[in-house]
Amino acid sequence: MLKVENLSKEYPNGTQALKNVSFEVKDGEFLAVIGLSGSGKSTLLRCINRLIDPTSGKIYWNDRDVTAASTAEIRKIRRQIGMIFQQFNLVKRSSVFTNVLSGRLGYVNPFLSSLHIFSAQDQKRAMSSLEQVGLADKAYVRADSLSGGQQQRVGIARALMQEPKLILADEPVASLDPVLAHSILKYLEQLNKSQGITVLCSLHYLDLVHRYATKAIALKDGELVFEGLPKQIDDAQFKSIYGQEAERVSII
Amino acid sequence: MNPTAVSLSSLLLPGSGQFLLKKRSTGILIFITAAILAFLVYWSFAHQNIGKVSVGGFSISWLWLPFVLFWVWNILDARARAERKRANLIPAIILVGVILYVIAWNVTGVKISRLIERFHDAQTVYVKLLNPDVVSISVNGQDQVCDWKCLYTYASDKLAGEPTEGTIRLSNNFLTIMGQIKERPVAAWKVRLGLAEAGTRQNTFVAGTILETIAMGLMATIFSTILAVPVSFLAAHNIMERVRGGTTIYYITRTILNVVRAIDILIWGLIIIVWVGLGTFAGVLALVIHSIASLGKLFSEEIEHIDPGPVEAVEATGATLLQTIRFAVIPQVIPSFLSYALLRWDINMRSATIIGFVAGGGIGFFVVETTRQGGYQQYATALWVVVIVIVLVDYISARWREAILRDQPKENVNKRPVLKLLLNIFYVILGVTIFVYFWNLTEISIRSLFNPGKNFGQVVLDFVKIDLSPKVFQTVLQQMLVTIFQAMLATTLGAILALPFSFLAAKNLTGRSRFSAWIYHATRWMFNILRSIEALLYVVIFVFWVGIGPFAGMLALAVTSFALIGKLFSEAIENIETGPMEAVTATGANKLQMIVYAVLPQIVPPFVSYLIYQWDINIRMATIIGFAGGGGIGLTLTTFFGSLQYHKAGTVVAIIVIVVALMDFASARLRHTLV
Repeated sequence: MLKVENLSKEYPNGTQALKNVSFEVKDGEFLAVIGLSGSGKSTLLRCINRLIDPTSGKIYWNDRDVTAASTAEIRKIRRQIGMIFQQFNLVKRSSVFTNVLSGRLGYVNPFLSSLHIFSAQDQKRAMSSLEQVGLADKAYVRADSLSGGQQQRVGIARALMQEPKLILADEPVASLDPVLAHSILKYLEQLNKSQGITVLCSLHYLDLVHRYATKAIALKDGELVFEGLPKQIDDAQFKSIYGQEAERVSII
Repeated sequence: MNPTAVSLSSLLLPGSGQFLLKKRSTGILIFITAAILAFLVYWSFAHQNIGKVSVGGFSISWLWLPFVLFWVWNILDARARAERKRANLIPAIILVGVILYVIAWNVTGVKISRLIERFHDAQTVYVKLLNPDVVSISVNGQDQVCDWKCLYTYASDKLAGEPTEGTIRLSNNFLTIMGQIKERPVAAWKVRLGLAEAGTRQNTFVAGTILETIAMGLMATIFSTILAVPVSFLAAHNIMERVRGGTTIYYITRTILNVVRAIDILIWGLIIIVWVGLGTFAGVLALVIHSIASLGKLFSEEIEHIDPGPVEAVEATGATLLQTIRFAVIPQVIPSFLSYALLRWDINMRSATIIGFVAGGGIGFFVVETTRQGGYQQYATALWVVVIVIVLVDYISARWREAILRDQPKENVNKRPVLKLLLNIFYVILGVTIFVYFWNLTEISIRSLFNPGKNFGQVVLDFVKIDLSPKVFQTVLQQMLVTIFQAMLATTLGAILALPFSFLAAKNLTGRSRFSAWIYHATRWMFNILRSIEALLYVVIFVFWVGIGPFAGMLALAVTSFALIGKLFSEAIENIETGPMEAVTATGANKLQMIVYAVLPQIVPPFVSYLIYQWDINIRMATIIGFAGGGGIGLTLTTFFGSLQYHKAGTVVAIIVIVVALMDFASARLRHTLV
């Protein structure tokens, strides 16, 4: 279970990205985080695995205090939390296989891995992760020779290498064609349903939220303005989250 | 603000009015300019009577007149700015230019008359330069240089079947440069392998000076690239901020890199020979030290500019800092590191041709020896060989860099894996052989690296003592100013000469008909050939022509500036966009209007930027031009080193570091604001 209490983040330039945000995510939930660009969604996700240090507030992951964890402890926590990104964040010049293997770095011997030595078991695991996302035949090509949708699937395979209990997905489909959005989200849904992995996913389109999420929260200017079931977001709610000017658009 | 008050303020203190109007940087710039000009006018009059005019018994420098006019301009500018206008910049530039160039002309000792008077003597040198000592003919047992005319006679005699006047062969001079088979005591490794008996003599290949030079350049590049990688991580802000206390290390590393970089390779050579003694090894070390600093800076900037996304992603998996560097940083920087290493190889090869002037070894040492004896034909051979080697290196390095930076994913099809494997094995064996051979050739000795000469510690102590007594300081400062002015004149002269030629070497302007294509290639080749010889090698010629001194050094720098500026200008012209030209033409403008409104605005900013860049380079080069008789601070430095006055040499090096760093900073700022 993930518990966020009074989380605030102020950047050195004075931007108040998060203000007193509190919520809970039960194991096995698919939580959608919605809000305008700049509302604090990315900051929130990055606070959970401490890629960003929050200014105040607490985060508990299975009753362990993430915010107080030492450098060594935070690495142990991070390896249970997979993350996928809007820009995929693959190392473009490395092979797909190496990119997937790098998901295992939190587990393996730092010295051996620096020499690019991985156990046979890890290599097999990387191959089966790639099979899960249907890219086993692309293992030895360079990451930048794949299309955007394929790169994001490699991103998912990399996260799978961590055997994660939680996946943080930061706008995973925002850089992709709408037709590809469903394909990526279906992979996440499948992991959520069949393996029970908790998913925290920030999304732009309300349609996608209705279709995939089991629960939703909304941020506006760093504040939590909604917490509840996706279908509870009606037109009035929508206007209060996205502003009066906003209109609903749907994808497919 | 009240225009009168602002004008009054600028009348009392130049730039202060502008400063009050919130044009802070303009105000400071005007103030600094006025202060520097005042100092220069005063100093040049006090030391060299520059611009002296006598009225009655009273004498003064007439340069105070443009200075006062500049002051007046500053007041007018302040007044205009108070009314939200700006004074015309051109009068100010002209006034500053008059003062600077009059002083530069005098301190550099420009004597146009000498160029003409000594033209006849210079001509004999040029004839020798065009007839290098490559082939010798032996007539009645006497060896002579066989020049083009002699070769022609010999060839026509031979073809006609008539008896020739003697027998020809490659000259000793040429063999000294290229290498030859000689009888030498047998090498130790052959004895160890049982291939020969100890103490015997065998015919062995003795490498020529050009091979030594190539070896120095290559070895220095290999070592410095390897060593610069760890250094660059210490100097990369985005890496060091993740380590406790890393920011301090970052600033220390950056400072050291900048100081080391500001000292020219040849000056490092002077310091190194105290450490390991004269020889090729000293040359390699000097190249390595400077290259580490230069590559370290470039590498670290490359690390700072990587895509932070993959770093974040790898960190999020729970990887340690080292793992993150290994998997997210290194794969991203490999192409740019390789390309910078290749660029540095090019630079190191050029420097290796002159490092012998101070450190001994290589073709530089050969040039010093031959020219000292007046052997201009022997020197000419060296020049031509250098041209060939450097033009080749330049070409290979550029092509290779292009291929690396294109960085396309490789096709996954591998038709003949066996062939590829064999080829790879062959490359590795070839690489190792060359490495081992060059290692021996450059006399790399780890032992002497850790076993410096007896009095090295004493010398270092003396060196860092930096003599700041007024007399020494005055001399050094004076020579430094000469050096700066030398660089300024050389840049100006080079640019003026390069401007017309750069249009001829721009492909989009020439290259339409066969004749103009021919002109294009000829100009390009002229630039490439002139550029492949270092200024220090040119000085020898100009010293003979106009005599030892800053004028000769300035002319040598002007030649290299001409070649580099010409190349850069022509590339800038080639890079202009055709869109605006089309648009202006479409409005009904004629050709001249089109050039003024569509071409000039596009080429002036890069031209100005290259000029400042070239001045920056020339100041660095001018600090060493004195090593071969080109005057300026290099002469002072060698004198101090030669007479073992290391504390004074320390002063020189300290001033060079400060001036070069200041110029580096100023030129970066200037280019930033102007372009």
